[in-house]
Amino acid sequence: MASRVSSKGKGSKGRSRRGKCVKEWSTWAMKKAKVVAHYGFIPLIIVLGMNSTPKPHPFQLVNPV
Amino acid sequence: MGSPSPPPPLGLASVLPPKEAEEKKEKKVDYLNLPCPVPFEEIQREALMSLKPELFEGLRFDFTKGLNHKFSLSHSVFMGSMELPSQSSDTLKVPTAHYEFGANYLDPKLMLVGRILTDGRLNARVKCDLTDNLTMKINAQLTNEPHYSQGMFNFDYKGKDYRAQFQIGNNAFYGANYIQSVTPHLSLGSEVFWLGHQRKSGIGFAARYNTDKMVATGQIASTGIVALSYVQKVSEKVSLASDFMYNHMTRDVTSSFGYDYILRQCRLRGKLDSNGVVAAYLEERLNMGVNFILSAEIDHRKKDYKFGFGMTVGE
Repeated sequence: MASRVSSKGKGSKGRSRRGKCVKEWSTWAMKKAKVVAHYGFIPLIIVLGMNSTPKPHPFQLVNPV
Repeated sequence: MGSPSPPPPLGLASVLPPKEAEEKKEKKVDYLNLPCPVPFEEIQREALMSLKPELFEGLRFDFTKGLNHKFSLSHSVFMGSMELPSQSSDTLKVPTAHYEFGANYLDPKLMLVGRILTDGRLNARVKCDLTDNLTMKINAQLTNEPHYSQGMFNFDYKGKDYRAQFQIGNNAFYGANYIQSVTPHLSLGSEVFWLGHQRKSGIGFAARYNTDKMVATGQIASTGIVALSYVQKVSEKVSLASDFMYNHMTRDVTSSFGYDYILRQCRLRGKLDSNGVVAAYLEERLNMGVNFILSAEIDHRKKDYKFGFGMTVGE
């Protein structure tokens, strides 16, 4: 009886559970990616810009002139 | 016994260069060497540039500071009313004031543009040239409120005389479009899209005919929209544009006519609409890098009067 229950579990419920797992993880990954993009996009541009040539001085970031 | 030779030219005709020969010589069309068409979403760009300037109401101040030729920061202040879309005929205006900080990084192969507002909304645009012909573009508006963020990935392929684009958006939006040059002046294109969550799909066709002096476009979509536009370049400084849009679902017809004067110190655009809207937009260059902007929109039918002024400092 135990073997019958375990084989039934692997058949129908296993496939749908794996699909649900993938969907949950991809939603979790998209949520984290959205938070990372939201907070990190502008700092990424600033880091890329400060490292481009000719290298600007960090004071020029806040200086209005 | 060949054809008799033409009579020798007399008087002034012997001094002036022969004009007839040049006019009658037709350039043979090389159908294998057609120019690359404009991207599908820019098929109406001349009409949109002339007829749809960024009208606003209130005060606008933009300051762009370049740190080097690839990297620049921008600060933008806006104080005024923003219009909320409302179903009734009354316009709903909300007074808003916000400060927007932006950073731009422009490389030949990579372009990053980000703008963040005081309420936490982020507008991000990324354009990356993966190869010579393949470009990836990302466009996203991220907000703090859940389920209000939007994003779109575009993959563009530029062929010799065609362009193809594939789009993936949030809410399971998939779209593709293709445009091909058929003659040196005419290009035809079509697009399909599919909205996953609402199980809606649509197809559209577009055509664009342009010469040096005029551009005529037409677009028809299965969502019931027909859009036609015509732009005539009257001279180097003046162009006139007209636009017609018909929405079959809402039985809405709009037609507008506008002008675009590009002068040495200013650019003046004005338009008149079939909905009773008259609008004008002036950008005047006061000094090197300092622009003064005036915007006016009068909606006679809804009795809505919008006036705005602003200044742009920096490139």
